[in-house]
Formats: sequence, structure tokens, C-alpha cells
Amino acid sequence: MNLSNKNYYLSTLFTIRFGNHIAKKKSNLSKIVPLIASLFFFTITFSQEQDNDDTKDYKKRVLENIEIDFLTSYYTQDGDNAAVTGGIGTEELTDLASEIVISIPMNDDDVLSISAEISTYTSASSSNLDPFDSSGASGGDDDDDDDDDDDGNSSGVTGSPWIESSGDSRKDTWINANVGYSHSSDDRNKIWSANLNFANEYDYTSIGFGGSHSWLFNEKNSEFGISGNAYFDTWNPKYPTELDSYLEANQNLFNGFFNAIEILDQNGNIIDKSGANVWRPLNTTLVDDTSRNTYSVSLSFSQILNKNAQISFFIDLVQQEGWLSSPLQRVYFKDRDNFYVGNASSISNYTSPNNRDVFQLADDIERLPSSRFKIPIGTRLSYYINEIFVLRTYYRYYTDDWGISAHTAEFEIPIKITDKFTLYPSYRYYTQTAADYFAPYEENLSTQEFYTSDYDLSDFNANQYGFGIKYTDIFTKIQFWKFKLKSAELKYSHYDRSTGLTADIISLGFNYIFE
Amino acid sequence: MKKVLYLFFVVSFLTSCVAVKEYEKVNINDPDMVLAAKKSNKFETSFQVYRESASGANGGKSGGGCGCN
Repeated sequence: MNLSNKNYYLSTLFTIRFGNHIAKKKSNLSKIVPLIASLFFFTITFSQEQDNDDTKDYKKRVLENIEIDFLTSYYTQDGDNAAVTGGIGTEELTDLASEIVISIPMNDDDVLSISAEISTYTSASSSNLDPFDSSGASGGDDDDDDDDDDDGNSSGVTGSPWIESSGDSRKDTWINANVGYSHSSDDRNKIWSANLNFANEYDYTSIGFGGSHSWLFNEKNSEFGISGNAYFDTWNPKYPTELDSYLEANQNLFNGFFNAIEILDQNGNIIDKSGANVWRPLNTTLVDDTSRNTYSVSLSFSQILNKNAQISFFIDLVQQEGWLSSPLQRVYFKDRDNFYVGNASSISNYTSPNNRDVFQLADDIERLPSSRFKIPIGTRLSYYINEIFVLRTYYRYYTDDWGISAHTAEFEIPIKITDKFTLYPSYRYYTQTAADYFAPYEENLSTQEFYTSDYDLSDFNANQYGFGIKYTDIFTKIQFWKFKLKSAELKYSHYDRSTGLTADIISLGFNYIFE
Repeated sequence: MKKVLYLFFVVSFLTSCVAVKEYEKVNINDPDMVLAAKKSNKFETSFQVYRESASGANGGKSGGGCGCN
């Protein structure tokens, strides 16, 4: 059997085998896993048989020089459905992020990559972890998010889901470091890589590692890849201040934070804390498992279709376990009485941005299942139209066992206006169904096992419009000391979500060669 | 779901017979033809991971490393 016949035979065999399989199968996950395992097995066999192509004569260094990428971005968003305040309230947030990636050729075949990233955000939403913060909405004299506000004073203690507070949770810094190492075979038909990852922010720490293997065959017209990653993350949970304070005061409204705080009912009347109808959280157990682990396996296949087009397919299988909800996010139940702190006359106006001085005490934090299985499937197609235009497209279907399914469609048309400058207009559409556990503010029931009012898990669609410009100089004429500028890119995107959230991001990147 | 999977396998294997020679890959090797998310889109992808439930299947991270969805 010659090479092309063998290709055809295997292709047909796979098509029949998997085509029939898929036609018969239900869309349950248990049948997908053996399918993927079969694919992996045949992939190995196939790639080994195809490895002896005619491209082994010349061995080019995988990376000629040290390359350094600098990336930075500024992101801002706003909306009216903050999850920290139970599905209503300001979602205002800004984030400034920067990353440096250094790729070092260790020899002809190996590349070491080191990256470090820092992201600093300021968020009106997360500041309302403690909406009663002194220098913020409450106007008192303690500026932390903690639960040591033992001197809480009923006079002047207010809060609002629509006003930024100023405690520690108002801003945070997320840092991330990654080390990767890749090795390519002499014929450049096989690539192995491994990576280690560490990330940390004030309430979250992550350690991850992974590896991947790629096979090129069919004269480097086809490529299979498989990768696996595991993240072992840990919450350092921070809670809505009223819940944390309540538990710290041994559930006694005459102790701690609540000692001198007046609690109001729905009618604005001050409640009798020793009476029967008082505010109490639904659960007195908050996070009991601080771990949050993620395991993923990814398969990819790329194929050159002709001289001007190529396509790739990706499928990930992702399993998450542990505390998958956010301890910061409040939930208010429809079937429980409401209680407030602040100005009684503003209660009737609670869900309006005009409410500046009353805050509703949480019924609970969000509760979500301790496991989640996700399957995203994506495809990319790049088509070289002519010397000026290229078409880049991407589509992804996503489903998980929380009841969410989503579609993402994206295209970009690079336009080479000169040999050095390229424009990048782009458009992206996204739509998703809601998680089974989502309901808006005051619409969850306390009888449910799981509940959230996080609009990131709601039913919505989003449009994103982008425009970028890139400068490329293959001769690297612009030089700063030993850094030669290879390319620079600036991009702006605007994001509109049907929930009312809007976002803007501007990104700037430089790619240097270091000699 | 079934249709997408079917398309995945059928297109993958039917097209694997095509062989474009190295010297014919000038257009394919254009940097804008790369079949991966661009480096400069990293932060954009990051905010999308936070604000949307779907992630992954783009050659990058598909979960873990942050307290996001």
C-alpha cells in the first residue's frame, strides 16, 4: 500500500468508524471519552507511520534568537448586575495588566520560555464585600474589609450596592509566573513541551503544570496535538462582611459588628433583635472545602487544505472539582424576609442606582455544585485571499453539566496596507444559556440546593467589535540597545452584553529580538 | 453537538490526503494565517473567560489558575 493509499484507507476507516459511532450515540459524556481515547490511539499509530517524510535534510534552529514580548492592557467595564451584591449593583471595574514573555533558544531543538504577568484591578463591585466600610458608603472610621468592626455605630452606618466602598477588596493584584520548556525532534515532526504555573491573588492561589505532544506528518501538512494540564488551586475565602461578622459574633446580633447596628425590615421599621422575626443567614457553614482543582485534556488537529487555506479543530475535556462558587457573591431569596441597614426611606428604591444609603443583608453566599465537566469544541479557518487580505475565522461550541451551552463566532480580516503596516478589524459574537442554578436578584428559593445570581452564568449574548494596527519589520531596523523591534501592535475592542454590561479594552504589544 | 463532532472527524480525515509542498507554503506561512489565538489577544481572552461561562478550545487555557468561571 503506497503512502497516499494508506492515507485514504485510514481516513476512510476513521470516517466510517467515528461517523457511525456519532450517528448512534446519545450526547452524553461517557461515550465521548472512549471516542477521544480511540482518536488518541489512532493518532499515535498514524503519526508514526507518516513520520518518514522528505523534510529531514535541513535542520533549522527552532528559535534563532532570544525573543522578548511585552504586553500590556487597560480594561474597564460597567453594568448593573454585580454578583457581589446579589445580582444588582454597580459592576464598575478597571484592570491594568502587563506581561513579559522571554523565549530562549537553549540549543537547536529546545526553547525555554519564562513569563511573568501582573494584573491590578480596582472594582466598585468587589469593594462591596463590605459595603459598610467606613471611608466608603458608611462614612465611619474603619477602612478594612474585615469583621472587626466591633464598634459599629447605628448612626450613619449605611451602604449601597450602587456605591463603591473603599476596603481591601476594592483593589487587588493578581500575579502569575510560568515556565515552559519545549523540545523538537531533528526532523521537526515531533514537539514535546512541559510547563509549570503559579498564580496568586489576595483570596486565591494556584499551582499548575502540564505537558503536550504534537506530531506533524503528511509533509507537515497535518498536525495532531494532545495536551494535559492540572491546576491545584486554593481559596483563601473572603465573605460578605455581614455573614462573616455574624458567625464571628457567635450568631448573636448583640455582639460584634451588629451590636449597635439597627436592622430594618422591609417596611423600614427597626426590628427587635431579640424577637422572632430577625435577620439570620440561611447557612452558618460557609466554605468547607477551599480546594478548587482543574484537570484538562486537549486534542487538536490542523490541516493545510490548499496553498491558501488551513483549518484546525480543538476539543477540550475539562473536569473541575472543589469549591467552584465564589465566596464573595451574595444571594437573596424570594421566600425569605428582607432586612436592611441604612436609610429606611431608601428601601423602596433599593434596586435603583439612585439608592445611595441602604444595603440589604445577605441571605447566603452563592452555592454551586462541587464538580463541573466542560466540553468546548472549536475550529479555526485561515484563508489567504490575496496579498492584501487574509480571513481568519473561529467558531466554538461549548457545553457543560451545569446546563450551560454556548456558541462563539469570530472573524478578523487582516489588511496589509503596506509591507510594514497591517490593520485588523474584527468582530465576535457570543451567546450562552443560563446555568441551571441561576436566577436574578430575589428570585432564587431557599429550598434549592444550589443557587447563584452571578450574571456571568445567566442567559445572554454579546457583541464585540475590535480594531488593531500592527507594525512589522522583518529586518528589525529599529533597535534599542540590544533589543531589535520585530513588531508592535495596538488593538482596541468594545464589548456589549445583553445584560447591560459594557466593556472596553486596549492592548499594546511589542516583540523584540535580543542579540 | 452530534453535528459538530461529526464535522470534526469527517473534515479532519477527508482532508488529510492533501499535501502542499514546502515551497508552496508561502501564503500558508504568512504570520496572519496562524491557527492560534494571537499573543496580543491574550488579555482580551482573559476578560472573556471572566465574563463568560465558555472557555477553552482555542489552544490556550481552559480552566484553573483564577477564581473565574
